Amino acid sequence: MSGVIIKAENIGKKYTILHSQRNENNLLLGSVASTVKSIFNFKTDKKVSEEFVALQNINFEINKGDRVGIIGRNGAGKSTLLKILSRIVKPTSGTIEYEGRMASLLEVGTGFHGDLSGRENIYLNGSILGMKKNEIDARFDEIVAFAEVEQFLDTPVKRYSSGMYVRLAFSVAAHLESDILIIDEVLAVGDSTFQKKCLGKMEDVSANQGKTILFVSHSIETVLRLCNKGLLLERGQIKAIGEMKDVAKAYLDTNTGLHSKRFYDRNDRHNPGGDKIKLISVIVHDANFENKEEFDITQPIGISMEYEVVAEDLIFTHSYNFNNEEGINIFNTHDTVSDFRKEKREKGVYKTTMWIQPNLLAEGVVLVNVAAIKIEPFTILFHELSAVSFTVMDYMRGDSARGEYMLGFPGAVRPLCNWTTIKK
Amino acid sequence: MKTVITSSDKSILNLGELKSYSGLFKYLSLRDVSVRYKQTKVGFAWSILRPIINIAIFGCLSILVDKSQSPSDKFLMVSAGIIFWQLISTAITETSNSLTANANILTKVYLPKLILPLSSLLVCIIDFFIAFTIFLIVFIIFKGLPAWQIVFTPFLLIYGLIFCFGLGLIFATASVKFRDVKFILPFIIQILFYASPVFLNTEFILKLNIPEFVKVIYQINPLVFMLDAFKYCIYGSFENFNVLYFCISFAITFLILVVSLKYFLNFEKSFADYI
Repeated sequence: MSGVIIKAENIGKKYTILHSQRNENNLLLGSVASTVKSIFNFKTDKKVSEEFVALQNINFEINKGDRVGIIGRNGAGKSTLLKILSRIVKPTSGTIEYEGRMASLLEVGTGFHGDLSGRENIYLNGSILGMKKNEIDARFDEIVAFAEVEQFLDTPVKRYSSGMYVRLAFSVAAHLESDILIIDEVLAVGDSTFQKKCLGKMEDVSANQGKTILFVSHSIETVLRLCNKGLLLERGQIKAIGEMKDVAKAYLDTNTGLHSKRFYDRNDRHNPGGDKIKLISVIVHDANFENKEEFDITQPIGISMEYEVVAEDLIFTHSYNFNNEEGINIFNTHDTVSDFRKEKREKGVYKTTMWIQPNLLAEGVVLVNVAAIKIEPFTILFHELSAVSFTVMDYMRGDSARGEYMLGFPGAVRPLCNWTTIKK
Repeated sequence: MKTVITSSDKSILNLGELKSYSGLFKYLSLRDVSVRYKQTKVGFAWSILRPIINIAIFGCLSILVDKSQSPSDKFLMVSAGIIFWQLISTAITETSNSLTANANILTKVYLPKLILPLSSLLVCIIDFFIAFTIFLIVFIIFKGLPAWQIVFTPFLLIYGLIFCFGLGLIFATASVKFRDVKFILPFIIQILFYASPVFLNTEFILKLNIPEFVKVIYQINPLVFMLDAFKYCIYGSFENFNVLYFCISFAITFLILVVSLKYFLNFEKSFADYI
């Protein structure tokens, strides 16, 4: 049973990025204007090439039958590693050896064509994923039954509901025959019932069919459930490797995990603010500006970001996006009030605070994306995904939207609404 | 079965692997065929309408320029040229677009990438056969049976497709990095059109008062041989056949194929990084 099935030695991946000194906007007029300007100034666009190291020094061995969870923050190199393993991009250094047939699932429904029927898409998608015709024939009924699309097999998939589309796409992939299966967070789609079904199917595939699985996810809960081995990536390097439980702990313990406050190094060239703005900190706090991990649902929650403006003449406003743990976007907000939003900023350090009113968010974990945006023309100066997270708690005192109700309470938001009843 | 992934840039032509993906070739080809005329009112009739419109335009044009034949003979001759030209131009265009059009597949899954340009050819062949069949019916009505040389048509078809595939593969590979190709390609197709005997005969061109070296360049163009040979397949006469020029044009076709494959294999592994 055991024995090394994948062996990676010294894998590295570098990208060369060309920065053009003009830019700001890539709109036609802007680029024409700056081209004309550069002609008259006899200046050529200064192209600065920068090397970006996506992965370096990656060494690991994976045994047959292991289910490996690959975790790490955005930009840690997880997807790059999967793409190298599945031979979509080539590494700039190192070698990987593996035994047997490998199938990779970086997206559900690769190559699906809206104008083709469900039946045609099963064959097309299956063959793109590397299945032979007789294999698809043999599993065709299973695929259709799992996707629950029997009646719509001859309908073009562009007429499918998005749920049906995703179900069919996942179903083809789940019935792939391979020794090694590589999966990127494709489960973040579909309704929750189907997500559970997918997870069940994956457990079945890994546990009962003895496949080796590499699974990338943001959800610690999911990888803990599915995987026995873990690999934690941070800035392109392996931070921890071993038993999934230990790796998950390492992820949560260090700064790589999510907390209600986060500090950034202004001098780090990986600073999410880029070269115009340097993000300094993002902190979630209560009405007294005290940082906490858990917040009472009946109290206001404040989110403050500090940043330094380093470029001249920037005009931008601030924005937060709130997502829950299921990846559902609860709401987005941007600053429509402060005078700063329309003015050219002076250089210097700023602090921006936004308040969420009491009794708005539902209980549970909330992830916050932080951004600086320009409304006209719409431009994103920076957008840090899942910068901080916090937990909303209902202490069941009866003054929240729950009232006296103590059981499960679904919904992405939980406002305290006005109710009146009169007898007529 | 052991697979080794290395950081080497170049890949080799792996025909065995290509063969094992023959199912994918089939389904990609079928996709292109069944999607081509979806959501059009007249559907597959477009594969006849497009040549008919072209024949009408260039038939009239050629009658005005070259008065050596009767208009009806002229029209049939132009039809033959246009039908074969349509195959050439769509094959070059489809092959050139095959990689960028399938970018979503290239960046999400591993597959022998040569299969994408290869599978884009079927659609052109089907269009050709539809138009060719109609042409033959019209020809038989007006002129009786075509020459026995018509049996050479399949060989000519394969030769033409090899030429288009080679040329298209160069553009396809270049377009992964430079989308400029998309804008240049129509001009190249247009130049090829006027540099080939599509609506004017080779004899007519050779009788023109133009420098001798231009005539030589004209005759070593592989497309000139192909179009003349296609008319030969139907009419059974080949007046301007010149063995030397044919050999040179054949060598050019072969060279294009070799160069395009080499170029493609050198960059194949980086496609997903650039596309």
